[in-house]
Amino acid sequence: MDTVQSEYILSIKDVSKSFPGVKALDRVSLDVKRGIVHGIVGENGAGKSTLMKILSGVYQKDSGTIIFDGQIIEHTTPHESMKRGLAIIYQELNLVNTMSVGENIFLGRFREMKGMRGTHAKAKELLDNIGSKVSTTKLVSDLSVSEKQMVEIAKALSFKSKLIIMDEPSSSLTNEEMVELAKIIRQLKAQGISIIYISHKLDEIFEFCDIVSVMRDGHVIDTKPKPEFTRNELIMKMIGRTIEKEYPGRSRNVGDILLDVRSINTRKLHNVSFTLRKGEILGLVGLVGAGRTEIVRALFGADKVKSHQVFIDGNQVHIRNPKDAIDAGFGFIPEDRKIQGLVLPFSVESNISMASIPKFTKLGFIQKSLEKNIAAQQIKSLSIKTPSTRTAVNNLSGGNQQKCIVGRWLEISPKIFIMDEPTRGIDVGAKYEIYTLMKEIAEKGGAIILISSELPEVLNMSNRVLTIFEGRITGEFNPETTPADRIMSAALGIVGRES
Amino acid sequence: MEEKKSVLKAGASLLRDYLVLVMIAFLVLITAIIEPKFLSGSNLVNIMRQFGPLVMVSLGMTFVIIGGFIDLSVAGTINLVAVVTISLIQPMGQLPALLIGLALGIVCGALNSILILSSGALTQAEALFLTFGMSTVYSAIALLYSHGSTMHFWDISASKSIFESIGSGNIGFFSVSFVIFLVLLAILWVFQSKTAEGRAICLTGGNKTAARLSGIQVSRSIIEIYVIGGFMAAVGAIVLFSRITTAAPVIGAGYETSAILAVVVGGTTLKGGKGSVLRTVMGVLLVVLMSNCLDLLGVSSYMQYAVKGAILMFAIWLDNRKQA
Repeated sequence: MDTVQSEYILSIKDVSKSFPGVKALDRVSLDVKRGIVHGIVGENGAGKSTLMKILSGVYQKDSGTIIFDGQIIEHTTPHESMKRGLAIIYQELNLVNTMSVGENIFLGRFREMKGMRGTHAKAKELLDNIGSKVSTTKLVSDLSVSEKQMVEIAKALSFKSKLIIMDEPSSSLTNEEMVELAKIIRQLKAQGISIIYISHKLDEIFEFCDIVSVMRDGHVIDTKPKPEFTRNELIMKMIGRTIEKEYPGRSRNVGDILLDVRSINTRKLHNVSFTLRKGEILGLVGLVGAGRTEIVRALFGADKVKSHQVFIDGNQVHIRNPKDAIDAGFGFIPEDRKIQGLVLPFSVESNISMASIPKFTKLGFIQKSLEKNIAAQQIKSLSIKTPSTRTAVNNLSGGNQQKCIVGRWLEISPKIFIMDEPTRGIDVGAKYEIYTLMKEIAEKGGAIILISSELPEVLNMSNRVLTIFEGRITGEFNPETTPADRIMSAALGIVGRES
Repeated sequence: MEEKKSVLKAGASLLRDYLVLVMIAFLVLITAIIEPKFLSGSNLVNIMRQFGPLVMVSLGMTFVIIGGFIDLSVAGTINLVAVVTISLIQPMGQLPALLIGLALGIVCGALNSILILSSGALTQAEALFLTFGMSTVYSAIALLYSHGSTMHFWDISASKSIFESIGSGNIGFFSVSFVIFLVLLAILWVFQSKTAEGRAICLTGGNKTAARLSGIQVSRSIIEIYVIGGFMAAVGAIVLFSRITTAAPVIGAGYETSAILAVVVGGTTLKGGKGSVLRTVMGVLLVVLMSNCLDLLGVSSYMQYAVKGAILMFAIWLDNRKQA
């Protein structure tokens, strides 16, 4: 191979990769030019992450060739790729929380840096270079998410990276932090570093990227310069069909009061009281950590509560643990699908059936055929894409995993459905399906408490919105008539309750 | 090409799943060739006897490990149950002694689980330390209770026929202890794989948080696994001292590690959630056969410890590979 600098920093040709039962990548080819930002969009399960993991050496490809900076890459390990100049910044950042910023940047290379003094000096230089003012002696556990991202970028630069892959970098950043990120991306580009930018969020793709590739079902569907793409075209190529709108419209079936919650008090919550009506979708808006999740967890009996009274249909219910809540008619989609929602190594079937075990148990014995029917029926009605009921749920894409959890609860037809970040990390198509489901549930008379960090989602789906700030309810709004900025300022604790 | 690869892959995973069986067959073959005494009637009886106590303890341990925890207290439980039961035969009669012994195992197990639940030590590592502490406590009580002395059947003048038949009786072709094993195995297998409670235990082991948020009573599962673990340790203790007709307060030493070894070698994952009592039976068979073979081949018992340790590490390594 000629090592004269070619136009491309990275050239991928016909790369395939299979996992048991799934063909994750099917002859994928992709060329990334030097010094540009190359966006990759695609639904979950499209193969983006698999491709990136092959590039970094976490997985090995089955076939095909990868040429990075003029060198053919066969087998590689994450450390080797880093040294070669290919760095990946994962969504879940890979830093050692108990060590300082400088130590993290030069982890395992202190000797090369001539001891800790050299390490911190060099780290400071790198951070200054990207305009970050984080102290190099600060512990990583004390940093905000965006500061951690800076540290990761500095770490990537410390390896003289020529290509930096950013996997969903914006997923936990605030708006101000996004501005910072945008600045850094421009700087890196100016230094001639190529960036692969992976995201679900089309706004960012249009803002940052020079060239965009769309992936779907393990193929690269299209690669074009950004100006040649329209938003709708991009969405259509991602999901392989057209959708006219992002939201299915609000349900309009609000009835009598179903749930009456009076003064929840916990260590974080102060006198939280609210009501929920039949057929209503109630949105909780607030910053991460404001107490949204704490409210629903307290309600569901998942956390300890100092005092609270809960009435359903006018009758007081006592909820001490999640089982009591389920018996009282609650269903709960937790915010972290993989940690709180699924038993990852278990089958799709047992993940769907786990809340309805009493339904297919006779005299203490599980009726396997009934269980299978339950799973098969939910898979069908929610069109969950899975090779079989016995497939480990771990092998499904994010959207399909989430649908398994939805199906788990639909099976016991809860009266009150709590959904904490129901669309986090799932793609446009699956999101729309979840929204449609929410609408259906509400139209059938079920009530939903919806928490989401994506404001448009809450505002477009809810009949009513409560704003939460520092453990208190700071406002109640009709999202159809109230401007979003007003709701946001209540969520930021700036204005009081609307009369 | 693709197909060949997938056949190979399937073959490899089958081999991995039944590695224990293959290893057992291999071991038996080699030893039988080198040392013909291996297949003699007296040696086979010997193997069956060694099998009895360990398989009981290991079956209980299987539940604890499937539930996502671990129980190092079985050694202490065995010590305590053995000395208490044997000492009660004379004053209370053999049946009450037997029942009290079994109940004591249940109490020990329940105590473990209550400690774990009330201290919030809900990780396997924390349970490891807690049950290790409890093992010391139970052993200490056994020592205090027995004043450190060994008790013998021949010192007991009251009827001890139940224990004698557990120790050396036969029902038809099988030893009594083997029949007890078969009955308990059947009950535990049905419980684990056919009942809602068994499913709850698996889900708890698979992901405690998700199980709890889906309405599974995780605390109940945790109590159940430790009670089963304690009860089976008590059964193991009774089978053990009935066979050797003496009970010393250190009789259970080493059983916790052997049981964990048997469970893991059998293929139940230490990460919890997946596994089966049937696999454990194979694991126990391998562990017992191995030490029998090494004995016959004249390998010193110190060396045997090293081999055991190496096999445990290999099994855990294999288990981790399987997850990846």
